[in-house]
Amino acid sequence: MLPIVPTLLSASGIDPARRGAAPGWLPCCPSAATRHHLGFAPLVRQPQDILLDDRMPAPGEDGPQRSSQADLDLRSLLDAAVDAVVVIDHRGVIEQFSRSAERIFGYRADEVTGRNVNVLMPEPFHSEHDGYLERYHRTREPRIIGVGREVVARRKDGSVFPCELAVGQVAGAVPPRFVGFIHDITLRKQADERLRRSETELRLAQELANLGNYVLHLDHSEPDYYSPQLHRILGITAMDDHVPLTTLLRLWAHPGDREKLDDAFAALQSKHGAFDAEYRIVRSDGATRNLHHIAQVTRDAQGRPRKHIGTVHDVTDRRQTEDEARQLQERLTHFSRLSTMGEMAAGLAHEINQPLSAITMYAKACQRFMTSPTRDDADVLESLEQISAQALRAGEVIRRLRQFVKNREVRREPVDCGRLLDDLRTLAETDARLHNVRLRIENADDLPTVYADPIQLQQVVLNLVRNAIDAMADAPETRRDVVLSAQLAAEGEIEIIVADHGSGLAPEAAKHLFNPFFTTKSSGTGLGLAISHSIVRAHGGRLWHTPNEGMGARFHFTLPVSPAPKGETTE
Amino acid sequence: MIKEIRPTVFVVDDDAAVRDSLRMLFKSIGLPVEVFESGQEFLDAERDDRPGCLVLDIRMPGMSGLELQVKLNERHSILPIIFITGHGDVPMAVEAMQAGAVDFIQKPFRDQDLLDRINQALEKDAGSRRMLAERNMIRKRLESLTPREREVLDLVVAGKANKVIAGDLNLSQRTVEIHRARVMEKMEAHSLAHLVRMVLEVARTEE
Repeated sequence: MLPIVPTLLSASGIDPARRGAAPGWLPCCPSAATRHHLGFAPLVRQPQDILLDDRMPAPGEDGPQRSSQADLDLRSLLDAAVDAVVVIDHRGVIEQFSRSAERIFGYRADEVTGRNVNVLMPEPFHSEHDGYLERYHRTREPRIIGVGREVVARRKDGSVFPCELAVGQVAGAVPPRFVGFIHDITLRKQADERLRRSETELRLAQELANLGNYVLHLDHSEPDYYSPQLHRILGITAMDDHVPLTTLLRLWAHPGDREKLDDAFAALQSKHGAFDAEYRIVRSDGATRNLHHIAQVTRDAQGRPRKHIGTVHDVTDRRQTEDEARQLQERLTHFSRLSTMGEMAAGLAHEINQPLSAITMYAKACQRFMTSPTRDDADVLESLEQISAQALRAGEVIRRLRQFVKNREVRREPVDCGRLLDDLRTLAETDARLHNVRLRIENADDLPTVYADPIQLQQVVLNLVRNAIDAMADAPETRRDVVLSAQLAAEGEIEIIVADHGSGLAPEAAKHLFNPFFTTKSSGTGLGLAISHSIVRAHGGRLWHTPNEGMGARFHFTLPVSPAPKGETTE
Repeated sequence: MIKEIRPTVFVVDDDAAVRDSLRMLFKSIGLPVEVFESGQEFLDAERDDRPGCLVLDIRMPGMSGLELQVKLNERHSILPIIFITGHGDVPMAVEAMQAGAVDFIQKPFRDQDLLDRINQALEKDAGSRRMLAERNMIRKRLESLTPREREVLDLVVAGKANKVIAGDLNLSQRTVEIHRARVMEKMEAHSLAHLVRMVLEVARTEE
């Protein structure tokens, strides 16, 4: 009986050579995605009859003695099969039901033998199967015989499962008999589904993150891979095989970033090449995009580059948001300076009135000296000298004021802290005088320079000084001192301290001190300290407060002593 | 304003330029002027009790103009004060006026406005000093009266007739007339009305 095995297998459309590849050895039919019914209806174009056994009797025709050996052989063959094997007669009645069929369908052979094969099918095929058989007998046109198909079947418990079905006609049997091989593909289906889902999720994730990836096979062992999102990021529908990705990126790189990109690619070529660069490209559609590109080259045992794997993250939106946030912060900072000057208007008016008053009186004195017979020319000369000096003084107040409120680019440069505090004196004293407060500036000698935006630093100091002055509104006049000092702190930092003798900080106020819009004053935006805090932080320093010795509060902030950080341009 | 001692303008201002320009201005019209950087410096200075007036900046760190005014009042200073105020200092100026300042002037000001105020202040100072001198003189005259003459004076000022006074003091009317004549003479009174005014003037300030 053994020789029939290859015949049987070939008749069922199965290449014996692939059998060794079990499980899942049934060849996947090309239209696997299309689900067909489990149909045994033998619709053979060129009947590939199964040479089962000439002597094999039709059921009910032959005596058991004659067929017993053949039946046993067939039985053992069927039982050895991994797939379910079901033999039916021309009416669709089940004749043989293999052990694996019992396992797959949950029926015992004796439960289904003699019953219509349509018990193994879900509706509508359950009802239609007889019709398929009848049509085949009438037309002899095969639909399924010799072709593997993916179909659904029904177990005894009513559950339905996907399977691959191959059907053959038993050669020479009259009336015809058919044999069906059923391979349960539930697991493979599930794996397919999982794979499909994870691919979909990956694609979605890439879309959401605006992240594309690629694999370049430098040894050309496989075609290069570019993810769909990478195409979208680059604004192209397909990669041109003749223009490698690296060439394309170099070509599109923003002129300002070309050098950076070349350096990064050069680093990638080096021994342990890795690549992490952010640069801009100008796409063929004219759009400028910011890309964060991470790549790595893997090498074989001989050190030859094998694969170039990378991800390209489109960070344009994030950069834009950051840019907008930075601009907003700068506008707020400027607004805060403007409103500080607004609050200081009375003091500033006073500061300008002082030299103007002096000028008026010197000029009048001069007039009188000139008409007096007993005049002393030295008085006239001195008055004239003072007139010009006081005019310059008034101009200086206006210059400092304008400098302070000007809406300008944030610009970091080396700043001499001692000079900075001296420069601030005019504005700070304006407020001090207005509130009968003495302002003392104590600079340590030879302070190193810090790298900072001078106007923003003045803004911080002025804010702290004005807070200190406000804190002493209720203090007796003899106690109204503010000491502003700068000194070299440990670890290469300059520390600037503003100390007052006011009422100190209430614990509740201390908690919210740096929150925007928190204020203990009847007038004021509540932005001063919040903005000072962020300015100091942006300069790499810290801002905090401690109780002053005796009474009041001390506000400290530090600035790192450093030359211009590498990579920063002063423009 | 013709006096033996010429009045001096005292200036207290923490702003060197303002202080110096005021010095020049007063110098140009021939007014003696002395300048001080702070209230404390002015209090510490040996000024005797020269006539004049004080030009005082209302805002100064340390001792403010108002604080200096309080300290001067405590010392019974009669020096008239003109405050120099800035924009928005009106509430402080009002406080200064209530504490007895003669005037205030807001920066920036015309020199003539300041000089007019200085003149008024100096006149006021001169008037106060005249009045003070007169009071001292009346006090000296009163001190020269005998107890009996003082009794007669009090009753005369109370409006009593000689006869009533004689009865009250148990004196003869003639004796009362003699005392009364001595009182008029010692007090250098031109008339009864003059005598009454002098006594009331002193009594008023001694209440």
